[in-house]
Amino acid sequence: MVFENSDQSAGSPGLAGVRAVKLLIAGGFGVGKTTLVTAVSEIKPLRTEERLSAIGAGVDDLTGVERKTTTTVALDFGRITINSEVVLYLFGTPGQDRFWFMWKELSVGAIGAVVLVDTRRLGDSFGSIDFFESRQIPFIVAVNCFDGAEVYDEEEVRQALDLDDNVPVQMCDARDRTSSKHVLVRLLEHVMALATAGAAAGRW
Amino acid sequence: MKHGRDDGYFELDPGPLIRPFAVTRGRAGRDLHDLDIITLVVAVRPEADVAGLDREYGDILRMCSRQPLSVAEISAKMGLLLAAVKVLVSDLISSGHLIYRSPPPPTSGRPDIKLLQAVLDGVRKL
Ligand SMILES: Nc1nc2c(ncn2[C@@H]2O[C@H](COP(=O)(O)OP(=O)(O)OP(=O)(O)O)[C@@H](O)[C@H]2O)c(=O)[nH]1
Ligand SMILES: [Mg+2]
Repeated sequence: MVFENSDQSAGSPGLAGVRAVKLLIAGGFGVGKTTLVTAVSEIKPLRTEERLSAIGAGVDDLTGVERKTTTTVALDFGRITINSEVVLYLFGTPGQDRFWFMWKELSVGAIGAVVLVDTRRLGDSFGSIDFFESRQIPFIVAVNCFDGAEVYDEEEVRQALDLDDNVPVQMCDARDRTSSKHVLVRLLEHVMALATAGAAAGRW
Repeated sequence: MKHGRDDGYFELDPGPLIRPFAVTRGRAGRDLHDLDIITLVVAVRPEADVAGLDREYGDILRMCSRQPLSVAEISAKMGLLLAAVKVLVSDLISSGHLIYRSPPPPTSGRPDIKLLQAVLDGVRKL
């Protein structure tokens, strides 16, 4: 979530009022995360890497003892300049790497997330869905409609993924800019609805 | 990780990613000014000031001279791990060459509805 009172955002006075916010694009291997980021980004997607420690991620073959390993995890990201003060970054999590879940900095402060799914491999998205549910990060499910994939309707996807009724499900073509933009709009509307409902309920 | 020669998105050779530990000479872990992956920085003093310093500092000041860039963008452009870029950027903040803005800590209050609305409006206009 993003929070009011920019006085609390650390930094230099010369940049007061300037804000960067982030959305995550998650989902299984090869579901089209980078394709979606590319479709809406104003820059060619960039790649950044971080080295993470993964405790117990490796088991020593000889001793069978778990050990601490380090792994380098890469992210693709794009940028949308919202106005002169606000920049939006879209981070595509690496689908083939289970270690992104350990990257705390990535999800902390995220406004929301898109879990992109391929109906031929719905199970690949369970990990991401559980992650955002447990962190209470607002998310929507976007179904990337690959050609030739069996077409499911929203209700079937919702049931197969065991989604809460309030989680929006949106069909899309990640290669198409307008379609991908609609995914982001749907997510941001969902985030807004949750934030205003929270404010009305006096939760904050 | 695929390095994208097949899809054309990425041209970075993974080679330079090995270098950060040389670049930062083990300084990671010092005061990093609470830098986040999306902390924005902008140069406020000319790169000429750092003529005598390592090439990486000048590179960072050059790329941040026109518009604020995030730590993530600097990392991608330089082909350095985020951790290494945070050390370099933090040196430049300490020396007064860069100013920065980090996102507020997530425990600091309520969702900023005005900010969310600005983001939503901006994306609708794409
Ligand atoms: N036909 C079709 N192909 C798509 C679509 N979206 C993505 N692709 C293709 O699917 C492949 C994988 O897409 P990526 O965007 O790289 O997927 P990713 O989720 O970023 O993959 P990883 O980062 O490796 O997990 C690419 O070859 C895309 O061109 C789609 O909507 N329809
Ligand atoms: Mg990708």
